[in-house]
Amino acid sequence: MKKGFKDFLLEINTEELPAGCVMPALESLYNAFIGQFTALGIDFDPDVSAGLRMATKNTLVCYIKDVSPTQRTALKEVLGPPKRIAFDEKGNPTKQAVGFAKNQGVDVSELKFKQTPKGEYLVFEKQEASRATKDILREIIPVMIKGISFAKTMRWDDSGLRFARPIESVLALFGNESISVSVGNVAQKKITVTPERYLKTLKRSCLIDASERKIKIRKMILDAAKKNGADPKADEKLLEEVTFMVNLPEAFTGSFNKEFLDLPEEVLRASMAKHQRVFPVMKRGMLINKFVAIIDGKGRDENKVKRNYENILEAKLKDSLFFYEEDTKKVFSGNAPQLKDLIFQKDLGNMFEKNQRLKELSGFICDSLGISGSLKSDAQRAGELSKSDLLTHMVGEFPSLQGIMGREYALKSGEKKEVSEAIGEHYLPQGIDDALPKSIAGAILAISDKIDNVAGFVGMSSGKLSGSFDPFGIRRNALGLIRIIKDRSFRIELGPLIKKAIGLYGGKLKIGPSELKKTIIDYIKDRIGFLMGNVRPLELKEAVLGAGGCDISDIFKRLDAVLSMKDSEYFLRAAKVVERTGNILKGAGKEKIGEVNKDLLRDDPERAVWDAYLKSKDEIKDLIDKEEYSDATRKYAETFYEALHEFFDKVLVNTEDRPLRMNRLAMMKAVNSLYAERVADLARLPQIVVKG
Amino acid sequence: MKKLSFVEVVARLNEFWARQGCIIMQPLDTEVGAGTFHPATFFKSLGHEPWRAAYVQPSRRPTDGRYADNPLRMQFYYQYQVLVKPTPSNIKKLYLESLKYLGIDTKTHEVRFVEDDWESPTLGASGLGWEVWLDSLEITQFTYFQQIGGKELDKISCEITYGLERICMFIQNRFNVFDLEWQDGLKYGDIYRQQEIEYSKYNFDEANIDMYLKMFESFEQEAANLINKGLLYPAYSFVLRASHAFNVLDARGAVSQGERPRYIGRIRSLSKRCAELYLAPKPDKEEA
Repeated sequence: MKKGFKDFLLEINTEELPAGCVMPALESLYNAFIGQFTALGIDFDPDVSAGLRMATKNTLVCYIKDVSPTQRTALKEVLGPPKRIAFDEKGNPTKQAVGFAKNQGVDVSELKFKQTPKGEYLVFEKQEASRATKDILREIIPVMIKGISFAKTMRWDDSGLRFARPIESVLALFGNESISVSVGNVAQKKITVTPERYLKTLKRSCLIDASERKIKIRKMILDAAKKNGADPKADEKLLEEVTFMVNLPEAFTGSFNKEFLDLPEEVLRASMAKHQRVFPVMKRGMLINKFVAIIDGKGRDENKVKRNYENILEAKLKDSLFFYEEDTKKVFSGNAPQLKDLIFQKDLGNMFEKNQRLKELSGFICDSLGISGSLKSDAQRAGELSKSDLLTHMVGEFPSLQGIMGREYALKSGEKKEVSEAIGEHYLPQGIDDALPKSIAGAILAISDKIDNVAGFVGMSSGKLSGSFDPFGIRRNALGLIRIIKDRSFRIELGPLIKKAIGLYGGKLKIGPSELKKTIIDYIKDRIGFLMGNVRPLELKEAVLGAGGCDISDIFKRLDAVLSMKDSEYFLRAAKVVERTGNILKGAGKEKIGEVNKDLLRDDPERAVWDAYLKSKDEIKDLIDKEEYSDATRKYAETFYEALHEFFDKVLVNTEDRPLRMNRLAMMKAVNSLYAERVADLARLPQIVVKG
Repeated sequence: MKKLSFVEVVARLNEFWARQGCIIMQPLDTEVGAGTFHPATFFKSLGHEPWRAAYVQPSRRPTDGRYADNPLRMQFYYQYQVLVKPTPSNIKKLYLESLKYLGIDTKTHEVRFVEDDWESPTLGASGLGWEVWLDSLEITQFTYFQQIGGKELDKISCEITYGLERICMFIQNRFNVFDLEWQDGLKYGDIYRQQEIEYSKYNFDEANIDMYLKMFESFEQEAANLINKGLLYPAYSFVLRASHAFNVLDARGAVSQGERPRYIGRIRSLSKRCAELYLAPKPDKEEA
């Protein structure tokens, strides 16, 4: 540690915070300090790993090592009069120079000259006052605490202070000195100890380190599973939550009556997670009648606690069984009258209509893919039933089981297995890492649902899509449908599908169909670009997305092809052809370019280009149609590179003779679009250099 | 310590909270879904006046009926409600002490405070706090009120709502509510089983839908008239009746998903007007 540098620690003790907000709160606090320190010129150790670990349900510890005791001193330049005014011919300071020096409280000899765009000026390099970090901390800590962002905040006393839950006390240590912090009516802890020592004390009383705690809990669950001969798996989402519910984890394994295993697996999981935050146990992929509970604190009477957990779980499962039996008394149907009362979105009609739209869209997708017969009718039937489970008791109790219960109840009502599976999978994928539908009918229905959501949500809003604010999950829906189509290599042009989806809303949408379609396609292309990941050069994404329509599988195919040949000579030559023709066309601005008139081709080099075009265009188009992009590129380069070189050398495209100019532009367009509109608009690449 | 009967649990909670300066009140005589609806909570949490009260409130939730078949869920049960305003900083500690006072060993059992954003849409009320779990059984709802009757509160009240049956289940170690000891060997089921079965049948299958629809309209109209006349307490009692009528209609399956928010909105707007009336200056009082 540098001399005088000290560790800084801020501990906020609260009543139990919501599990999901603990780490984001700590991150927000830590980043705010780092940001302030940087802005104020206070040096610190930027190693995040130490500072961003210590957090429990009721403690946030922001720990920053090696913080300088004072601000870095900066020299601030104060500009004085220009040199020519500040000194006379003899080089003596004028009144102006003396006055300026006086104002700065120094002698003229302490001033310097500085070259500026306006000439040479007199300047004073002023040493800014440096403040003690301790004093700055006292000022900024309350601001930092109040600035932590939470989804929801509350008041608890007359101070009006807001936080996710009441703050009990605050401790701020800089070195071994505690800094008094005045925030609301919150109590201050005052002790004389270094942050390092204090952390040691904390670690003795609980597992303050969140990642250590998580690892320990995971191990407890896996050990318990091992003891029962079960699969070593832990529900990671639940694990994350439980990590912020217990400070000193202890585990036990409980069991429940086997009769409850008749309930769908997801119901058991949901009940365990929601009502008790206990972990299900699987053997060879099947749930068994056991669970692992993680409880907080040492010295519990494990037998009694376990018996209570078991009794309560059975009571809750009994309730699930009640829902299940009530729900299965009714036939699962796509046109239950109550569906018309169930609103999809305020301006987008009801769930009966949604079922009908998904039936239509699934049929449309099948037709586009050339799917007919039972697969098509299954996908359509699944669409018709897709939202019906929203009426059931079980989904009312466990909203996360939407789709899943549809699958179960459809099966119980005698629907085909394929139909039920498709219903069960149509909300997939829920997130960026989530699994995709396993069945084809499920994939088709999932695409239908997502394109219907995107069309509706974009169409009912202002049509403006913002990156961060996405209350309807438009981004999730768009990414989901791209992933499914790509994964399945479905060949489907999105334009007509989006048009169909918009049309099915029958005038409910606020934006006109063609404008809306364009907005959605642009948005989806943007998301495709995001999914393309780290492509170098970045412009390749644009080049590929800028060519052709919106056939997702083809876009990725073209991207792969372009990436695999991007360093080859023929690719660079093809790129040069597209670039040069593209540049000429750009220069033509908005002039309307027509067809090539053979009779207007005067010079040999231009006739050579046109002959090459006529000779090879069909072959190139054919290769592109067959998606043999590498061969197509090679052929394109061979056909045009030399000929164009000659052409540009000898022929002036932008001649004064308008008919001639327009004819040459038409030829440039034909050559350019042959590749740029079908494979990749390589004119967008940065500086293309062809060797040799 | 002897295992407390249901009656003894209530007595002990009364003792405990009376010692904390709470006025021990009696239940409201109108059908309500929770202790929050009692004027001692709904009105008294408004404004600046300090207030501390505790009371038992029989609560009805028609959709929760299970024909006495479920060990935990009933359409009729008892809440023990504590309201403390303003919230003292040691309120959580006091609550844990109250559990100890009931003989619950919080060292050998696990008490967990699980995030819960409480809301009563019909009362225009919301707050932040927790469900309190005792060995994973939800025994209490612990809430810092933020809004009542659609109004951001001047002073923050803390509402502690004990589920009396659940606490007794735990204390008596009987995991079926109907097996609980009410008093001197008399079981909870001896008193309430038949009622529970009959009301479940009534709420789900027999309640006269037409009658309740008319009742809802009439109660709403009466509440509105009485608010206009400045008769706060009678007006509020009709808001509560309308609310219960809605709950019965809901259990009976007579309220569609689309209509639900509208019904709730109608009740909420009456609740809000009652809250406004309660807070309005009272010229009569000053004269008296």
